[in-house]
Amino acid sequence: MFGTKTISISRKLTLMNMLVSGTALVLACLAFIVFDVISFREARMRNLSTQAQVIASNTVSALLFDDSQSAHNTLSALQAAPNILSAEIFLPDDQLFASYSRDPSWQSQPPLALKQGQAESSWTENEQMLLVRKIEVDGKTIATVFIRSDMKDLHRRFLRYVLIAGIVLAASLLATLLLSSFVRRAVAQPIIDLSDVAKAVSKDKNYSVRATSTRGPTEVSILFDAFNEMLGQIQSNEIELRNARDTLEQHVIERTAELAAANKELEAFSYSVSHDLRAPLRGIDGFSQALIEDYGDRLDPTGIDYLKRVRSATQHMSHLIDDLLNLSQLTRTEMRREKVDLSALAQTIAEGLQREDPARSVEFVIARHLSIQGDAPLLRIVMVNLIGNAWKYSSAHAHSRIEFGTTQYQNRPAYFVRDDGAGFDPRYADRLFGAFQRLHATNEFPGTGIGLATVQRIILRHGGQVWAEGAIERGATFYFTL
Amino acid sequence: MRNAWIAIVCVLLLDGSLCAQQPKPSEYQVKAVYLYNFGRFITWPANPDSKELKSFPICVLGQDPFGPALDTTLASESLDHKPIVIRRISKPQDSTECRILFIHSSASNQLKEILSALDHLAILTVSDMADFSKRGGMIQFVLEGEKVRFEVNLANTENANLTLSSELLKVARVVRRNDKSGD
Repeated sequence: MFGTKTISISRKLTLMNMLVSGTALVLACLAFIVFDVISFREARMRNLSTQAQVIASNTVSALLFDDSQSAHNTLSALQAAPNILSAEIFLPDDQLFASYSRDPSWQSQPPLALKQGQAESSWTENEQMLLVRKIEVDGKTIATVFIRSDMKDLHRRFLRYVLIAGIVLAASLLATLLLSSFVRRAVAQPIIDLSDVAKAVSKDKNYSVRATSTRGPTEVSILFDAFNEMLGQIQSNEIELRNARDTLEQHVIERTAELAAANKELEAFSYSVSHDLRAPLRGIDGFSQALIEDYGDRLDPTGIDYLKRVRSATQHMSHLIDDLLNLSQLTRTEMRREKVDLSALAQTIAEGLQREDPARSVEFVIARHLSIQGDAPLLRIVMVNLIGNAWKYSSAHAHSRIEFGTTQYQNRPAYFVRDDGAGFDPRYADRLFGAFQRLHATNEFPGTGIGLATVQRIILRHGGQVWAEGAIERGATFYFTL
Repeated sequence: MRNAWIAIVCVLLLDGSLCAQQPKPSEYQVKAVYLYNFGRFITWPANPDSKELKSFPICVLGQDPFGPALDTTLASESLDHKPIVIRRISKPQDSTECRILFIHSSASNQLKEILSALDHLAILTVSDMADFSKRGGMIQFVLEGEKVRFEVNLANTENANLTLSSELLKVARVVRRNDKSGD
C-alpha cells in the first residue's frame, strides 16, 4: 500500500515496536515464571513440612504401642497427595518401622541423620524434594519420618507457564503489528511525505514546492517548517545567483565588444603606421638622397651633413616602424612547438656577429646540447635579441666575454645569456622589458628599445618567465625559462 | 520389630534394665511399659474433693504378675509431671488414691465388687483377664500372636470422667461403647 521507500521507515517502526514490546514481555514473563517457580517450590516445601508434622504427631501412639500397622494406615493417607512418592518412619537404629510408597518396587533407604537440635531438614535430589523430620515425645526423638515428593508437577507447571507466555507473546506481537499501522500513519507518513517532496526537489530542481503537513507530532511540524524555510532560502539564493550570472554575462559581452573595438583600432593604427607613415618617410629619405646626389656640389659641407642626419633619422624611424609591426605581429602568428637546439642557434648567431665586426675581441662560451621545446622562429628572435644585446652593450670594452648556459631555477631549467659589458642599474631592472624603454642613450648604444619587449612577449607566449640581473659596468645576465 | 520397639522404649525410659535384657522382653515387661504409655494419652479430671496428689500411683490389686518388671521399668519415670510410685494393694478400697489400677486375672470372680467399689472414681482399670472390657473394665490386654494389644471400653472410661486421646483409640484393637453385657 506504500511505495518501496516507505517500507523501510514504517517497517523499522513496526520492528522497533515489536522488539520493545517483545523484550518487555519476555522479561516480564521470565520474572513471573521465576517468581512463581520459586514460590511454588517454597509452598511445596512448606506443604511437605506440614505433612511431615502431621504424620509425626499421628504416629506417636503407634510407635509407643509398637503398632506399625496403625503407622502404615496413617502413612497411607498420603495417597490423597499425588505428589508424594514415598514416606517412611525410621526408628533410631535406622530400622524401618512403617512405610508407604506410590511405587511398589521402591526400596526404602534410611536418610542422613539429622544434626543435634535440628528438628527438620529438606533438600532436592534427582528432581525430587526430600524431607526428614524427627518424631519427638517428651523432647526425645523416638523416630524420624522421611518423605519424598515428586517435582514433575513443578515441571508441568513450568512448561504450562512457558506455553502461556509464548501464546501471550505471540498475541501481543500480533497486536503490536496491528497497532503499528496507526503509529505508521501518525509518525511515519509525514516523514514519507517530506521525503517525497525532498526527492521531487532534488530531481526537478524546483525550489518553489512546499511540504504541507497538518498532522504528526510537534517535532515533525518543526521539521516541515525548517524544510520549507530552507527551500525558501535556496530559492531566493538561486534567484540572486541567476541575476548575478545574467549581469555578469552582460558585462562580459560588453567588455568583449569593447576589446574587439580596441583591437580593431589598433590594427587600423598598425596598418596606417606601416603604410601611411612609411610613405612620407620614404619621401623624406628619397628627396634627401636626391638633394645630396643632384645638388651636393652646390651645398657646403654643413648642408650635406644636415641632410645626412635627416636621412639617418628617417632610417631610424623606419626601423622603429618595422620593429613595432614585428612586435604586433608576434601576438598574431600561430605558435608551433618543436625541438629547438638552443646551443646551435647561439653558435650561429655568435658567428654571424663576429663576421659582421671581425675587429672586436669577444670570447663566446656556449654550453653544448641545450635543446628545448618551442617555436623555432620565435626562439630565434629571443636568442638574436639577447646575444645581440650582449654584443652591443659590451662593445665599449676592449675585450669581452659572452656566455650562454643553463642553471636551475625553482627546480626547472633556466637558460641565461651573460656578458661583462655596460650592465645596468638594478633599480631600473623592471623597466628593461618595457617597449621603447631604454636605460642608455641612443648615441651611446644604438637601438629602438623594442628588443627586450619582444623577448618578454615571446617567453610569456611560451608560458615561461624572463628576468635580468646586473650592475653598472659589471655586465648583465638575462634568464628565461619556458 | 520387637527389638525395634525396644529401641523406642529405651529412648524414652531412663532405666537401662529393659534395654539390657534385649533381645526379647517378657510379656509383662511390655505390659508394664504399656501401663506407662496409657498415662500419656489419658487425661484425669481435676480432683477437687481430695488433696492434690504429689505422685502418680500405679497400683496392682491382688497377685502381682509383673514381678520386678514394674519397679525396674517405671520406678524412676513420671507421668503428668509427677513421679510414678508403684503400690501393691489387696483390697479395692485401698485403691482410691490410685491413678491406674491393674487387676490380676485371679480376681476375676470378685470383679463386680471391685468395680462397684471404684464406681465414678477417676481410676483407669487395666487387666488381662478375659472379657474384662465387656464386664465393666476399661482397658483389657489381649495377645495377638506375640504382640500385646488392648481393647478399650469407652463407656466405662467416660463413667470415670477419664478422657482418652483419639491417638490411643487408633491403636486399640477393639473400642466398645455401651457394651455392658458382661455385667
